[in-house]
Amino acid sequence: MALPKGGYAPDVDKFLDTLKSRPVDASVDFLISLLKRRQIRGSESCAIATARVLLQVVAKDKWFDVDQLIGRIQLVGRKLVAAQPHELVIGNIVKRVLGLIRDEASEDRNDAGNDSPSGGTPLPPSIEAVPVEKATRPSPLIVLPSFARTQSMFGLLSDPNFTPSPGSTPQLGSGSSTPQRYPQSTNVQALKSEVIDGIEEIVDEIKQVDEQIQNYADIHIHPGDYIMVYEPTRTVQKFIARASSKRKFIVFLVVDPSSNSGDPYASFRKALSSGGSTVVNVMNVGLMAYMSRVNKVIIGARAITSTGGVVVDSGAAAIARAAQQQGRTVIVLGGVYKISPDNRSHQETSVEWGSPSKYVNFADGQMVGQVKVKNASSEFIPTEFVNTYITNLGAHSKDHLHGIITDHYNKEDVSFDLFGKSQR
Amino acid sequence: MSQNKAARGGASSKGKRSNKPGAEEKREDVLQAVLIADSFQTRFEPFSVERPRCLLPLANTPLIEYTLEFLAMNGVQEVFIYCGAHHEQIERYIHDSRWSPSSRSCPFSSLEFIRIADARSIGDFLRDLDKRNIIDGDFVLVHGDLVANISLDGALAAHRARREANRDSCMTMVLREAGDGGHNTKTNGITPAFIIDPNAKRCLHYEEITPFQTDRYVTLDPTVLEAREAEARTDLIDAEIDICTPDVLALWSESFDYELPRANFLHGVLKDWELNGKMIHTEIINEGYSARASNLQMYDAISKDVLSGWAYPFTPECNIFPGQTYRLRGDNTYQEDEVEVAPGSQVHDSILGKDTHIGDESSISNSVIGRSCRIGSNVRIVDSFVWDGATIHDGAVVEHSIIAERGVVGKKVYVHEGSLISYGVSLSDETDVEPATMLSLLSYSGQAVSPQPELVGSQGKGALFHNPEDDEADHDDPSILQKSLIYSLEDLDIETSSVSTLADDDYMSDDESNPISPTASQPTSRSRLSSFASDDSGAPSYSGFHSDAVHGLLDVLRGTSGNFESEKLEFTSLRLANNASDGAMRRAVATAFVRRAIELMNAESEPLEPIKAAKQVLTSREGASEFVTDVGVGDRSVTEQTEFALAVQKACANSAKLVEVAKAGNLLAAMLQQMYDLDILEEEGILGWWEDERGKEDGQMAGVREKCQALVEWLENADEEESEDDDDDDDDE
Repeated sequence: MALPKGGYAPDVDKFLDTLKSRPVDASVDFLISLLKRRQIRGSESCAIATARVLLQVVAKDKWFDVDQLIGRIQLVGRKLVAAQPHELVIGNIVKRVLGLIRDEASEDRNDAGNDSPSGGTPLPPSIEAVPVEKATRPSPLIVLPSFARTQSMFGLLSDPNFTPSPGSTPQLGSGSSTPQRYPQSTNVQALKSEVIDGIEEIVDEIKQVDEQIQNYADIHIHPGDYIMVYEPTRTVQKFIARASSKRKFIVFLVVDPSSNSGDPYASFRKALSSGGSTVVNVMNVGLMAYMSRVNKVIIGARAITSTGGVVVDSGAAAIARAAQQQGRTVIVLGGVYKISPDNRSHQETSVEWGSPSKYVNFADGQMVGQVKVKNASSEFIPTEFVNTYITNLGAHSKDHLHGIITDHYNKEDVSFDLFGKSQR
Repeated sequence: MSQNKAARGGASSKGKRSNKPGAEEKREDVLQAVLIADSFQTRFEPFSVERPRCLLPLANTPLIEYTLEFLAMNGVQEVFIYCGAHHEQIERYIHDSRWSPSSRSCPFSSLEFIRIADARSIGDFLRDLDKRNIIDGDFVLVHGDLVANISLDGALAAHRARREANRDSCMTMVLREAGDGGHNTKTNGITPAFIIDPNAKRCLHYEEITPFQTDRYVTLDPTVLEAREAEARTDLIDAEIDICTPDVLALWSESFDYELPRANFLHGVLKDWELNGKMIHTEIINEGYSARASNLQMYDAISKDVLSGWAYPFTPECNIFPGQTYRLRGDNTYQEDEVEVAPGSQVHDSILGKDTHIGDESSISNSVIGRSCRIGSNVRIVDSFVWDGATIHDGAVVEHSIIAERGVVGKKVYVHEGSLISYGVSLSDETDVEPATMLSLLSYSGQAVSPQPELVGSQGKGALFHNPEDDEADHDDPSILQKSLIYSLEDLDIETSSVSTLADDDYMSDDESNPISPTASQPTSRSRLSSFASDDSGAPSYSGFHSDAVHGLLDVLRGTSGNFESEKLEFTSLRLANNASDGAMRRAVATAFVRRAIELMNAESEPLEPIKAAKQVLTSREGASEFVTDVGVGDRSVTEQTEFALAVQKACANSAKLVEVAKAGNLLAAMLQQMYDLDILEEEGILGWWEDERGKEDGQMAGVREKCQALVEWLENADEEESEDDDDDDDDE
């Protein structure tokens, strides 16, 4: 007689539960509406949901060659990105999966020894798709021509699945007019299972990010440090809690006074004090006074752009700027999956506007009627405010981000514009 | 399609009956919702003549999309949609959309239409639902014009807990706090007042407060307050989201005359608590957004709320609805792809749909512009709504108005505040549209009308829209306050003194616009109601009786159905059901007869002269004159006759918009003459009426009265001459 667990409203868990029982298209549409309604939010949930739904596409859709599969993933990816353009991780996951497919396909073909010249495989010089994946070493004979080809627009335009024509879905199974870039796989089934395994590994990677990142805590937090955090995400909380288990330091916990939903950081506070560290609560306004004491500011990223800019929860950018003014270290935490290969300008799109009811109660008729209230739920920290990025692979400076991107994404996908007008 | 489904629903319900407990247990985790897609109101006229309210675009999205999205958001699995007017449009829309059950992306496991041909109120829908037995657990009842983003999980859990504790808690209303001060998103004109026990969250009493109320009181039954704490709350936005158990439907069935979910059902069930023992609870939320676009003022307010993000994620930027590509650009303006704004134009706080072009030096603020609109140069659009495909030519000004689809506004046209320009209306160059003008290509009954060049210009298309029922509705019916885009009490004569009405139990007195209350100033012998005098001074649905009665009578007069014998019975039962006053009866009878006479006079094939029309209407059907005598006039006292004559005069004055004043006057004279001949009215009655101050008011009333001068003189002289000649002379004047 009780309500179903967690009520009726759909969320990410319900979505993942129903994935297997639904047709792929229905799952995709369901995810799209959940993303649009913001019932799946937060980069980790978005990333996992995206990976899972792409896994369903690979597993359940009918496809006969790699081009078809890639086209299909690109189409679905565009729809998902359009549904929530502010979550860059969705695009990242789509591109990771695309790279994965290309790698598996080329590996497959290399194994089969089928290196016909027509199939110019665009492979970047070195590929390290997923941490566990072993890097493929294609023969230089193929690399050279293919590399040239990737650079050309022709490569993009000749592929029917790249057509950005809105409304018309690419015709599945009708890629015959263009030369197939990947030879018909002798064993689609084998490729499929390898891709599925690869996606599972991506999901595992996302889930392990917090544990992996917190392993670096000892290196970055020292005894007696003054650490400032702003509305810490789970990643940041775990990172600091890990350090506090061995060391004693002082944490300034900055909270937004307008969020009045109890104390979401009670357990965090408890974990710190049990380790002997001190927690000082700072309301947003008192921030600058403490900045001179602070050694390090630790910020959880929603996404990291290829140039080093960081998309964060609103409020953190002001702190980063303040820290920069005082010459304090700003450390950004975020899994590798949050690093976006996309090199567009993110400044404007990264600001997401939420409901003004966080700051003004709708019951206040005067305010609602007369005053325009805007509430940014995310904002952008420019590169120059950030000193160090810590991912699950370790600490990096901004110069290394590009290396991570080339390691994790296929060059061909990096330039692919997922933000095109896929939906009408 | 829907009929098959309904049949299937009926069949399956039989199966469910037999093993109901098991079925209920099993299906407990499936949430059902009932969506009422017809409001039985005319507050969106003239637009609702062509299009159902739930398909009208709010921020460029049909209203029903918001409602369905709200249901999907809350995990509803099965949806039943009740359609009334324009059901084919709604069905087609849903069928072609992603909500269609055949569509793969439909989030609902089932979505069924239920169509009822003869439904005349929401009550009829819910009584029908009870009969069908397709609801087997708690369900959510919403209306097709709901915009909300609240999560119902909390309310559902609380509802279920209460129901388990006590089987008699049958319904939970989800209400949104909106503060004590003024608020755009509160309904104007009708303020819902909930008397709530704050601890148990039980609703004890419900009342609607209107500016027309003379006493400004809510009268409570003393038992309501016994040993309980009670709060009177008028600060709530009631979006009519109800979580109901099937018991609610049974209650609807028990009270066959309830029409409105709040004013009738809620009020009634709470009042009869001692009898039915059912309890209704409230869930008052202070987060999230919920409101119903139940009239144009609310439509305006909700559009603004959507634009400023209160309904998040229902903001243009989230592109919740498929196919939308809005992005935030510049000064709080959301644009879709392929919007062209010429340099030099200023757009702020607005929404621009796809393929819309805006010329040079135009300014658009606080407005919603649909798709494929063409807006010329030097145009100014303020606080307005321009729907898809409208064209606004150079130099035009649109202020706080609605231009519907395919509307054309010519060069240098000035559309003043509150105007409603319906589908396809075209205004030729340099027309000046007066404030609060309603222009349409169709009449209220959906007939094409010929253009009125004095309003739309020489090249224009469209005519003044006017629904005659509006005139006949009580002047104290609060719904008239909600018929315009801009809320205003200015033109209304609101009685501020309540002294004269202290003895007046006749709250439906038809002369609210008259400062002298008739019953107070002229005690009548016919206060049939006095024994019914009760404390429910705010009993709603005054207009319900009037329109039902008039329609019933008109059918008889037209000869399409029934006869006066049966109509009299029906009339009496209708009166008792609605607790209608003598005044209301008089007015209904007078209105129906005058309306029929006007119909005859305006008939396309062979229009009748007023005299012939009056004669035909009173004599052609058997029993008509007896009916008027018994029901309209009542006992034969002079006062009664005076009152009835006054009612006829008023009806004629109201109809002056359909025919010229002079003709209406002639009709009045002819009607009175005819009634005199038929012995319905006596000489004293007519003369009494002639002397009555109330008939001498300025405006239409005096206008129609003039024509009776001759008749009265003739009566006074008790002249035996043929009177037809005199009247004919009058006609020529």
